[in-house]
Amino acid sequence: MTFLSFILAQCLSALSQAAILFFIACGLTLIFGIMRIVNFAHGVVFMLGAYAGYTAQMLTDSFVAALILAPVFVGVVGAAFEWVFLRHLYGRRDGGAYLLLTFGLAVVLSELIRIVWGTPPLSAGIPDALRGIVLILDQPFPLYRLFLIILGVASAIAVWQFLERTRAGLLIRAVSQNPEMVHALGTNVNLVRTGVFGFGCALAAVGGVLAAPLVTAFLGMGTTVVIDAFVIVIIGGMGSFLGSIIGSVLVAFVQVFGAYYFQDLALAFMYFLMLVVLVIRPGGLLGKEE
Amino acid sequence: MLKHQSLTRRRLLKGAAAASAAVFAPPYLRHATAATPIKIGIPTVITGGYALLGSHIMRTCRLVKKQMDAKGGLIGHPIEFLYQDTQGDPAMCVRKCQELVERDNCRIFTGVVVSSEAAAMLPKLEQWNAMFISHGNGDGRLTAELFVPRFFRANTSAPMGARALALYLKDAPQKKFIAIASDAAWGRSSNAAFEEQIKKVGKELVDKIFAPVANKDYSPYITKILQSGAQGCYVALQGDEARAFYSQASQYGLSQRVQFFTEIVAQADIKVLGKEAIGLIGSSRYPITYDIPQNRAFVEAFRAEYKNDLPDWSDGEMYQALMILFAAIEKAGSPEPMKIVTAMEDLEVTSVKGPIKMRKCDHQGENQGFVVKVARTDKFPEPVGEIIKIYPRELTTPDCRSASYSN
Repeated sequence: MTFLSFILAQCLSALSQAAILFFIACGLTLIFGIMRIVNFAHGVVFMLGAYAGYTAQMLTDSFVAALILAPVFVGVVGAAFEWVFLRHLYGRRDGGAYLLLTFGLAVVLSELIRIVWGTPPLSAGIPDALRGIVLILDQPFPLYRLFLIILGVASAIAVWQFLERTRAGLLIRAVSQNPEMVHALGTNVNLVRTGVFGFGCALAAVGGVLAAPLVTAFLGMGTTVVIDAFVIVIIGGMGSFLGSIIGSVLVAFVQVFGAYYFQDLALAFMYFLMLVVLVIRPGGLLGKEE
Repeated sequence: MLKHQSLTRRRLLKGAAAASAAVFAPPYLRHATAATPIKIGIPTVITGGYALLGSHIMRTCRLVKKQMDAKGGLIGHPIEFLYQDTQGDPAMCVRKCQELVERDNCRIFTGVVVSSEAAAMLPKLEQWNAMFISHGNGDGRLTAELFVPRFFRANTSAPMGARALALYLKDAPQKKFIAIASDAAWGRSSNAAFEEQIKKVGKELVDKIFAPVANKDYSPYITKILQSGAQGCYVALQGDEARAFYSQASQYGLSQRVQFFTEIVAQADIKVLGKEAIGLIGSSRYPITYDIPQNRAFVEAFRAEYKNDLPDWSDGEMYQALMILFAAIEKAGSPEPMKIVTAMEDLEVTSVKGPIKMRKCDHQGENQGFVVKVARTDKFPEPVGEIIKIYPRELTTPDCRSASYSN
């Protein structure tokens, strides 16, 4: 194994990890950007996506179907939650109510998942088309991780284009800046918020479906990943879509290379990175200071 | 000055009436004091990362309760299991045990999942006037430097599992090994024991990797293993971490280059990993295929009760711990903790894992060592660990109050 092939393979590993982190962090930052809500249930939503993806794959025998159906299902659940519960809290100055409500959602969802799917871990496996390895110079690299990188890049571009070039994206950006003006211009701001919350949950669910072949679907799988997502959003800047991409890549690289070279300190590096960013730019790399 | 008490007719009639009531009272009234349940606290993980192991413990306890109820209880008392959710957190575990002691007067504990939870309980046992028998806590220190008289370990410890595997590897073709372990009490203990043992059998440990608890991405560690030139890889990971590692390792084709050996072969992992688990060799804390009457009866009863499941290592170890506990209570004739402790010392029982002796000097159960290889069989609907070697307990149990071996 040459040093070049090793570095290349590690970079690709980091990018594949960044792809999964991006889906979770992007959803979290979109929700915060529009609604100023820190969604404590985001990790459990990710977990729900993994379980829903497993069921969809078992029913349809198709990983592609799971990638479509699971996020749609979880997005609907998220939108329904926003419609029924969250919107009644808008206008409150006290942010504690949102934290408690989303924390409550996390607890209830976790238990529902345990009741519906049980405690044993579940895995539908990788589809045959994505099994196998490719050789990066002389280093084996899983085909599935290459797929993650490609899907992550394509999705990031798609979401970016959606936000920048479509009318819906324009409305979302407008609501994030001045919801009262948007409302005065005749747009149903509540509907925009519902849609964004559902979309954010759907993105997290995509992350769950993609992560399941790597780690299996298991209870508690959202706990550590939501911490990673919060760190990414803080590093990238709360509410910044581009910040979530940069943050995901930075965190993934720190985790992969930190684990390889400094295994005892691997966990600490991510938080050290966050500390450095906050000292230099308190609002995150691309966020606004409030 | 004492009053003179004379036996009057009235007193005589009262006494006779009382004696008659005691003899001829309805059975449920006479049985009232004898029916006081023997309470066994199960502070286990019901929610959280190790919930699967907690669910195994609880299902085995339910099976045992059913069996004991059918027998009429233990020394005339019904058995009652009191479950509490510790979420795998040592501080929470101690708090829940405290509640069980104060609220329910529960003085017997078992079914604790995480070794660090067990370690947190040990110093409190004296204060609680309780005893604790481990069913599955692997940290070698629990019966060594952390030893307390009210604690017993019925199960195979991490050093014992590593020892059995190292004895097997003595004749294995692989010469160079690398180890990957969970960066937690059990993982470090297991790795330390393996490192000591593998060197004794003349093999080389080229590197050791400690992955953070709840780690998700094993790609950097898989790269290290690939780079190391090792022919064998010792895996001291369990549960979600083990499954993530094996899943990702198979995606790299690692099992074609390196033979995996593991300290714990778990049926839950085999079921999820499917064909990716075939060929895995490991030390087994409870081999489902062990062909003795006690184990056949247990497996049969388990499968009759839980039709879609096979007993995992945690089920077998839990069952063994309870059988030892009940044998001690029968010997003591009482559920009083210190009487159980005295009765359990040097107690010999034949359980689902064969003969076991609860050694007096450190309260470690002397278990045989089993090495298994995961394979498909006709007897079971999913792959299981088939026994390829059994080592006598004299070889696999460490020195007294130690996690090391002088032989």
